[in-house]
Amino acid sequence: MTETVIKLENLTKRFGNFTAVDNINLEVCKGETIGLVGPNGAGKTTTIKMIAKILRPNEGKILIRTNHSDLMDLENVSSTVSQMGFLIDIPNFYNMTAYELLKYFAKIQKYPRDKIDSRIDELLSLFKLSVWKHEKVRNFSKGMTQKLGIIQAIIHDPDIIILDEPQTGLDPLARIEIRKYIRELQSLGKTIFVASHMLYEISEVCDKIALINYGKIIGFDTVENLARILKASILKAKLLGKIEPKELAPIIERLSNRLKPYLDQELDPSISKIPITYRPEKQEFRFYYDGKINSQAEILSILIKEFESDFTITSFTQPKTSQLEMVYEEMVKNNLPEGKKQSNGGKN
Amino acid sequence: MEVRTKMKENGEKGIGLIPVIDTITFEMKKQKKKFYFFLGVAIIVAILSGYLLQLIPENLLSDTQAGFYSSGLAFISFITLFAACLFFSGIICSEFNKRTGFIVFPKINKYKLIIGKYLGNLILVVFIITVYYFILGILGFYYYGGPINIRFFYSYGFAVLYVIALSSFVTLFSSFMKSETVTIIISLIILLIGLNFADQIITLVFRDAFEPLYSLSYLGNIIPSILEFPFPDPRYSEFSFSGMGPFGGGSFIIGTWLTPSIEMAIILLLSYIIACFVLAALLFKRRQL
Repeated sequence: MTETVIKLENLTKRFGNFTAVDNINLEVCKGETIGLVGPNGAGKTTTIKMIAKILRPNEGKILIRTNHSDLMDLENVSSTVSQMGFLIDIPNFYNMTAYELLKYFAKIQKYPRDKIDSRIDELLSLFKLSVWKHEKVRNFSKGMTQKLGIIQAIIHDPDIIILDEPQTGLDPLARIEIRKYIRELQSLGKTIFVASHMLYEISEVCDKIALINYGKIIGFDTVENLARILKASILKAKLLGKIEPKELAPIIERLSNRLKPYLDQELDPSISKIPITYRPEKQEFRFYYDGKINSQAEILSILIKEFESDFTITSFTQPKTSQLEMVYEEMVKNNLPEGKKQSNGGKN
Repeated sequence: MEVRTKMKENGEKGIGLIPVIDTITFEMKKQKKKFYFFLGVAIIVAILSGYLLQLIPENLLSDTQAGFYSSGLAFISFITLFAACLFFSGIICSEFNKRTGFIVFPKINKYKLIIGKYLGNLILVVFIITVYYFILGILGFYYYGGPINIRFFYSYGFAVLYVIALSSFVTLFSSFMKSETVTIIISLIILLIGLNFADQIITLVFRDAFEPLYSLSYLGNIIPSILEFPFPDPRYSEFSFSGMGPFGGGSFIIGTWLTPSIEMAIILLLSYIIACFVLAALLFKRRQL
């Protein structure tokens, strides 16, 4: 049985009359990578700050599993929790060299002293910052500072890593590196909690997504399951050549009949009126299906075997990003607070 | 696994003191530029007031070693005051203003961090004062021979106590002020101008009936005064002026409190330290990033 390492129970944080985090319940199991997705001001950073003991919750509690215990209330865990590593907000460092900073952070987090130097070298090299080891952080670019922020979060080799917008300020190459590194950490069995509004980054690395809006968790599941709840599971089939307009209607009709058992027959009309669409500019079909893994295989098999003479498929994917975007948009729309719903409705 | 076991061992060994010691050394490294600057200033001022000024024929050397030390210490309160303001002003507020707290607060207990930073800065400032006293002590020995007057060491003790009181006062301001610069400016205005001005007004109004014991600046007068033998008694003195002016003549009396008593200085400096630290800790506890 997978054990829970972090549990948020009815967690609430208010700033005056404003409720930033509203009665959140969430469980993170060992080895899972959880994405906390929400727009700016949704309560992501506030939640993370409470886990980091920077903010005190007004209500509820945070339970964590320490090295040698069952789940414990974070309030009762003395001082800081050394098996967690945090990157909160855009990192700001004291103006020292990368080496001096990392050495200090490793020391205060009780990393074995004889291994600190090799650990620093290993991480700086991994993030391609080795030549900047003895440079002051004042001379670092935004992306380099962000990388250093990630390094300081993992310098003491924590079991639980909590990253708030880790991709901020990074160039595409660095983002790919970070994703790669997050996957490496996953393979080492680390529990990772990533907050972001970058849906693509989240969907690429996370096992589960917690959607947060106006301080409330409005959905917590895998991308596929969330999509299934909203009946918005999509499959994309890219074709080798274009389909002539006059041939399109009969093909779609045949496809609809043949794939009927696997397609989403109760599709939300705001997403699409029919479960099969064709985008000539991209040369691709989109299938809104029932979200089941078996259905994916069946659809692919039918497309290859029975429509070979009509088109050739070059790729067949489930686009997590657009799916997540859709899920996200839908959930946020359906979970607007009363006042916001009215004003939104008025505008539309 | 081996690393984690070692981490566990390290964590259980130090009863939490090791992170404070690490923070002290880190803070001392962080402040090294400021330290070298103030050390340079202290050395120059000590040599200037203790040696170079004595080379000018008009400046007669004091009759006694204690008198020499007393005049040499005229600038010590300025050095300690500026050093305290510049070293301690960012101790708490910079973690919030520069948002460095997001990095360090999850790693180390907030109070341990501030205690470490405080002690790191205190060691540097005390070292600067020690160097100042050392140079003055050597020069006193050079001019008057040994042994060095015991009251010179008492004065050093009071200087250290005064630095701790000043630093606690600045730390208190740092606990609720928004930025380091504002803390420096406000602390300097209060300590350099505000308290002295208040002392003047109070003495003008109440004369010898009210001793300005609330004032840190006044308490600092004990540092050179303890070198005087006999210790000033009475500690309040008045000067009268008389003369004619365009609007008529008259006589004026201006009073001044010279120094607090030794016992009172110790008690009040300690009270200042305790009160400021308790208040700073309470405000720091409530402050959120």
